[in-house]
Amino acid sequence: MTVPGQVAAPLAPRVRLCGDPRVTGMLAAAVLLAAIVVYPLALVLVRSLKVDGAWSLATYARAVSPDNLRPLWNTVWAATLTSVLAMVAGTMLAFLLVRTDLPGRQGMRTLVILPYAVPPFFGAIAWAQLLGPQGYLLRPVLNLLGIDQAPWTIYSPGGVVMVMAIHFFPFVFLTVAGALQRMDVSLEEAARTSGAGSLQVMRQITIPLVAPAILAGGVLAFMGAVANFGIPALLGLRARFFVLTTSIYAALNVPDFNLATAMSMLLVVISVGALGLQRWIQRGEGRFAVIAGKAIHPQPLRLDVWRWPAFALAAGFCMVIAVLPIAALVVTSFLRYYGAPLELASLTTRHYKYILGLEQVRRAAANTVILASAAATLCMGLGTAISYAHARAKIPGSGMLDAIGTLPYAIPHTVIAIAVLLAWARVGLYGTLTIILLAYILAYLPFSLRTTSATLQQIHDSLEEAGRVSGAGPLQTFRDIVLPLVKPGMLAGWILVFMPASRELTMSILLFSLRTETIGVTIFNMQDAGYTQIAAALSVIVLVVILAGNLLIRRVTRGQLGF
Amino acid sequence: MDKITVQGLWKEFDGVTAVADVSFSVGEREFFTLLGPSGCGKTTTLRCIAGLEEPTRGEVRIGGRLVSAPASGIFSPPERRSVGMVFQNYAVWPHMTVFDNVAYPLRLQKLDRRTIEARVREVLEMVALRGLERRFPAQLSGGQQQRVALARALVRRPEVMLLDEPLSNLDAKLREQMRFELKELQRRMGVPILYVTHDQAEAMALSDRVAVMNAGRIVQVGPPLDIYSHPADPFVADFMGLMNFLPGRVLSRQGEQVLVEVLGQRIRVVDRSALVGPVMVAVRPEDLVMEREGDMAGTVEVRSFMGNFIDYKVRVADRTLRVQTSNAQVHAEGERVALRVKRALLFAAEGAA
Repeated sequence: MTVPGQVAAPLAPRVRLCGDPRVTGMLAAAVLLAAIVVYPLALVLVRSLKVDGAWSLATYARAVSPDNLRPLWNTVWAATLTSVLAMVAGTMLAFLLVRTDLPGRQGMRTLVILPYAVPPFFGAIAWAQLLGPQGYLLRPVLNLLGIDQAPWTIYSPGGVVMVMAIHFFPFVFLTVAGALQRMDVSLEEAARTSGAGSLQVMRQITIPLVAPAILAGGVLAFMGAVANFGIPALLGLRARFFVLTTSIYAALNVPDFNLATAMSMLLVVISVGALGLQRWIQRGEGRFAVIAGKAIHPQPLRLDVWRWPAFALAAGFCMVIAVLPIAALVVTSFLRYYGAPLELASLTTRHYKYILGLEQVRRAAANTVILASAAATLCMGLGTAISYAHARAKIPGSGMLDAIGTLPYAIPHTVIAIAVLLAWARVGLYGTLTIILLAYILAYLPFSLRTTSATLQQIHDSLEEAGRVSGAGPLQTFRDIVLPLVKPGMLAGWILVFMPASRELTMSILLFSLRTETIGVTIFNMQDAGYTQIAAALSVIVLVVILAGNLLIRRVTRGQLGF
Repeated sequence: MDKITVQGLWKEFDGVTAVADVSFSVGEREFFTLLGPSGCGKTTTLRCIAGLEEPTRGEVRIGGRLVSAPASGIFSPPERRSVGMVFQNYAVWPHMTVFDNVAYPLRLQKLDRRTIEARVREVLEMVALRGLERRFPAQLSGGQQQRVALARALVRRPEVMLLDEPLSNLDAKLREQMRFELKELQRRMGVPILYVTHDQAEAMALSDRVAVMNAGRIVQVGPPLDIYSHPADPFVADFMGLMNFLPGRVLSRQGEQVLVEVLGQRIRVVDRSALVGPVMVAVRPEDLVMEREGDMAGTVEVRSFMGNFIDYKVRVADRTLRVQTSNAQVHAEGERVALRVKRALLFAAEGAA
């Protein structure tokens, strides 16, 4: 019976929509998201569809005209080939290191993912030193053969693909190794007891089961290659090999803003298409859900007579992809002049002294630290507000914010740079650190959302509810209960944004101007201008910082993040 | 002829002994169970028989053929042994349909398509899965996946079936139903089954013989009823069903007729051992009779209604005893009662050799 004026009690406790500080926080986050993420990205789309203020597809027609079709085609084939190479190398290595009794497999696992931590354009610099015309690896071979000029050069499409494959194959390795480890061993044992030999088991059970992981890793490698700027810029431009990212860079130098936006949209379409493919592959994984059984460590596959040949092959591969490039950078940075004979008398520390005394480098270092820490702090702040509304308070509409914040994950960084240029250059931010910061926040927000929502979800609702029934308000509960519990996760998230931001090149190179250079830009420009040794010395310093930062992440997260 | 013979089996992992000197054999149509708490080595023993682990020492024979003998360097890999195995988590391949899962062992034998289809159909009929051939495992319930695993193990008509806690992932109702079906299936197929479980009720219900394992060793082998009524030691007594352990002393002994004093009461016990003096008296909850008056007085502490019987905890002096009575005999919590021992077993007193 209902008495007039009496309101039925709600079935579930609802968040009051007015006056609740959590709602106010979410609304503020929504406004910021609209300004920082939605507005600039929308501008790219709008601008690409307009010519002289009128709607038109003319720019797209120009972007796919015979003159400009090359970069699109180059992007697609180079990224596809990269991804195929990455899938082959990554899968084989994952099998060897996870499932066999290969000697030294623990050490190799660390080495194999080292290229993942090194910025791709460092790899390009290092490989140019190894396989360039005077390269450490090439020169002895040429001397031995008595030829003066190598028939092949690293400054070529092949060189670009090779270095990209080295840099992006850890994506495949990590996904396949993870799948192999998670896979229930009894699935394979059941095949053995059904009468299948170990090779049959591998072909008919193991490989079909990890196939989605191989493909998903391959798509990640493809996306990385499509969006990469540093490698094709340093190794491809000399051979006049253009991909979309380097073409956009060139178009901005003209400047031809319209063409840059249309090419950006092509880049977005390829990248989003690939991401969609990956999601579709992973959706199929529901089929592969397996009831967890007893944890029995798989008997490693015995390589028998192949044990040492396989070890030599795998160890050699790890040396080549992980150790040699870093060694090349270190050696170059200590040589008196590039091409000096490799002996003790040729060593010097003067390049380091020179760098450390260089005003431009000190400014770039300061800029980089300011930008990366500001980006990390603001990303974590915004990310926490959104994730809290979404994952904890479950405020209606917050799922939308989470989706928008994750969107930039699919957007290549070149496009993000174009977007912030379109949005903020005309309000006087051109050439400031602020515009670079806005690009970083846009690019790294998905990273912070992932860590903040994962961390916040780990706290059981009841902990917060216990705070509330003890008499604390929502803000107080957040401060006294939630925040202390999530602190390690938040710190890890902060470092996860700081690290890539501190070595960023693709966006900074399009946004910097005099006095707002970052370390990445400085290294790139020095290498591009031919100051190989100074670039190498600076790269070595940055690598040391990266590896130290990684150790810190491992310490903070007890080994869950980092490598 | 014995279908499985295990002789002096040892298995060590990095210096830790998982199985120590285990010997037993499984007869032609026998349902044989390895029973024990987790970590007792029962699964490792099973895996050694399947060929999924290589034993450190000892011999394993399947159908009279020597398949494992480290001393003479003999080891047949699992695919060369005629076994059908059902895993605890079923291990149904998620990328294959029900039909493909079950047909897989036959395809490996390179049988022709018609034979494969006929035999898969036959075995699916047996486990009541007809009509689900084209489903993927993710579209099946846990119980159905279980049947797929069973069918896959049966389809190649192995010499022996190895079942590793196959029912432990099912809910209670289904578990009970599958118990009957397993037993029925084995009778029809006549295939010997080696079964591993930690659930003593399951072991008693299913097995012709049970081997109770503890800390890597077999403690006792025999038909369930024998083990239940004549456990070899307190561990087995405790593990097979519930048991109250009370301190007592032997007052006099005439052959197997023994007079024992326990908790102030004198009882007559049939005992085959030669124990004298202080002993440990073991009494099953159903062997304690609750009466209004008697020598062994106590108080009902907790009463749990279990449906077909009532489970009491009764405090006598400074101990709590488990007593089970029919559901017709109801006592209130806090009520004063007296206990009478109907039947008891004697073990050496704790600390005594």
